[in-house]
Amino acid sequence: MEQSPINWGRPRDDIYGHYSDAISQAPNTHSLPKKHTQQPTVTGSSVIGIKFDKGVIVAADTLASYGSLARFDNMDRLTQVGDSTIVGIGGDVSDMQYVQRLLEELEIEENYDNSGDQSLHSENIFNYLSKVYYNRRSKMDPLWNAVLVGGVDSKDEPFLSHVDLLGVTFSSPALATGFGAYLALPLLRQLVPYPDSYKNVTEADARAMVEKCMKVLFYRDARSIDKYDVATITKGNVKIEKDIKCKDQNWRFAEDIRGYGRTTS
Amino acid sequence: MSSIGTGYDLSNSVFSPDGRNFQVEYASKAVENGSTSIAIKCKDGVVFALEKIVTSKLLVPGANQRIQTVDKHIGVVYSGLVPDGRHMVSRGRSEAYNWRSTYKQAIPVDSFADRLGSYTQAYTLYNSVRPFGIATILGGVDEDGPHLFMIEPSGSFWGYHGAAAGKGRQTAKNELEKLDLPNISARDAVNEAARIIYLAHEDTKDKEFELEISWVSASETGGKHQHISAEHLAEAKKFAEQATSDEDDMEE
Amino acid sequence: MNGISVDMNHLKKGEVNLGTSIMAVKFKDGVVLGADSRTTTGAFIANRVTDKLTQVHDKIWCCRSGSAADTQAVADIVTYHLQSYAAQNDKDPSTKVAASMFQELCYNNKDNLTAGIIVAGYDDKNGGEVYSIPLGGSLHKQDYAIAGSGSTYIYGLCQKNFKQDMTKDECVLFIKNSLAQAIKWDGSSGGVIRICILTKDGAERQIFFPDEYEADY
Repeated sequence: MEQSPINWGRPRDDIYGHYSDAISQAPNTHSLPKKHTQQPTVTGSSVIGIKFDKGVIVAADTLASYGSLARFDNMDRLTQVGDSTIVGIGGDVSDMQYVQRLLEELEIEENYDNSGDQSLHSENIFNYLSKVYYNRRSKMDPLWNAVLVGGVDSKDEPFLSHVDLLGVTFSSPALATGFGAYLALPLLRQLVPYPDSYKNVTEADARAMVEKCMKVLFYRDARSIDKYDVATITKGNVKIEKDIKCKDQNWRFAEDIRGYGRTTS
Repeated sequence: MSSIGTGYDLSNSVFSPDGRNFQVEYASKAVENGSTSIAIKCKDGVVFALEKIVTSKLLVPGANQRIQTVDKHIGVVYSGLVPDGRHMVSRGRSEAYNWRSTYKQAIPVDSFADRLGSYTQAYTLYNSVRPFGIATILGGVDEDGPHLFMIEPSGSFWGYHGAAAGKGRQTAKNELEKLDLPNISARDAVNEAARIIYLAHEDTKDKEFELEISWVSASETGGKHQHISAEHLAEAKKFAEQATSDEDDMEE
Repeated sequence: MNGISVDMNHLKKGEVNLGTSIMAVKFKDGVVLGADSRTTTGAFIANRVTDKLTQVHDKIWCCRSGSAADTQAVADIVTYHLQSYAAQNDKDPSTKVAASMFQELCYNNKDNLTAGIIVAGYDDKNGGEVYSIPLGGSLHKQDYAIAGSGSTYIYGLCQKNFKQDMTKDECVLFIKNSLAQAIKWDGSSGGVIRICILTKDGAERQIFFPDEYEADY
């Protein structure tokens, strides 16, 4: 009998000749490593987030696409965890729901032995998630998401960080995933060009910019819709507004555009 | 006891000729000597209360909580051997967790009682283990409303309006029967629970004790099991002290 | 890559495919499931009178799309688990529990399955409910769900015609008309329209033949 771990249990090649997968009809498992890496199927698009003087705003639209098909238009992609954190998830929706279940369990375990006083802060939740994502990518079986964690940390300071399917993490006063990284981030950075800039930004200013970003994303991201959720987290308060429509859309100028430059008609 | 010296009380897996499992009966003795724990099923929830004997002045007051949360909506308390109880809670947590991961919903309280009941019973079957020296009181709120159960060392369990175990159980049961269960409100149940624990403590007056109270109620805690706040506990203690001293007065 | 070709690429060589138009719709007194009856291997119709509506518990059924073998296996496993749930807990499982079981199987085995399933059921507490489980294994609660290759042709039609709290007859008509269009435009859908109505009184089956539903074209 073959004793090597890969071919264990099979007849030895040197005695019985080359092992034939065809005759045994066994899957040819020994020649190739096990493959995991999938592809996303039902997907959510961008998540954006920005810090302001007293907290953080996180926003994401409510579309779940199936390829180019706008499959579900009522997907909640912002999840509250504990009482000072919002987790916004883009990418594969089935993996998002799995992560939401992990976070719910984390919350239950955290409350096993305390009497309701909050101990799960944003940085703890982010740290947990970064480990989950890095762990899965290291198993060559990534959770196909890009995630923003926004909230208030244990020192009551605004918190905003990013983790994605590779387990890559970074923080910034303004963050965006997916198309948002190209389209929304430059706009958000106008408000917060430097790490400490958010201290001079009011909630109203940040909110106005977030609404502008969601509109631009609707204009230019083919996997987005003009309906989104916004979460505002300040010390001791999480507010989630659902199903906001992109306001003040500008289409009228289309009337003046004729042809494509060759002629005017 | 008639069992002593016969040899039939040495192992779990051997019946005595008259059909008794002495190990289970001894386990019940451990429960009877444990500190008193009670639970009250009220209109929209369950209130747990515990008399925690202070065994050393060096213990930090309020530490070592013994009413524990098993899932968002279920609480557990027990009388008897504390380490056995800790193990039971840990087992309860994994039962609740497993249920969640297979069914994506919180475990119904009756199913939870069933699981822990079966687990307790399995420890009466084999000579390699001993039964649990605890009575487990568990309760919670699920989609069918509030539920309260108590599991005995034998593994048998029943649903209750009010449950009591440990040294002061007889006094406690008498008092529980006088209450209008399960129509009492959660807030009233907290006060009554405190009073009953104080009353049940009378027999062991020489020993100092701490009062521990938790609740799970649709209206008061949003269906989540948690300890009552420090202020609320102080309030309940005041009510209990008042009520028990009134009773003393009447006797005089 | 578009949605349909994702379906096809997952199939193993020579595998039987439920090309499929399926849907389930909530109505006033419960829920109605509907499906076409065509099963194909490539362009050949392997079965023209397939029953894609599958019972997994007394009042919980599912519509299957994707690989016939995969979805049958998954439905069989869920049926087993629901039976054991009912026996162990002395009560019928909710539609959500059933849908979660499908979801868990589809999610954990996503690399090896081609299964797009709609779970629909009636329970006394929640009334009629519809859950959609598309390819990746996510779970979506909906008022009505459509799936399968033919469904892509009737997204607009269904959104326009769906009404909350329809009567049973309205609901059956809505499904019949919608599936008739899906069958008309999708080469992988065809045959008869099978219907299953789930209410507090249990399951009622109906069938519409081509000469009946084609009258509405």
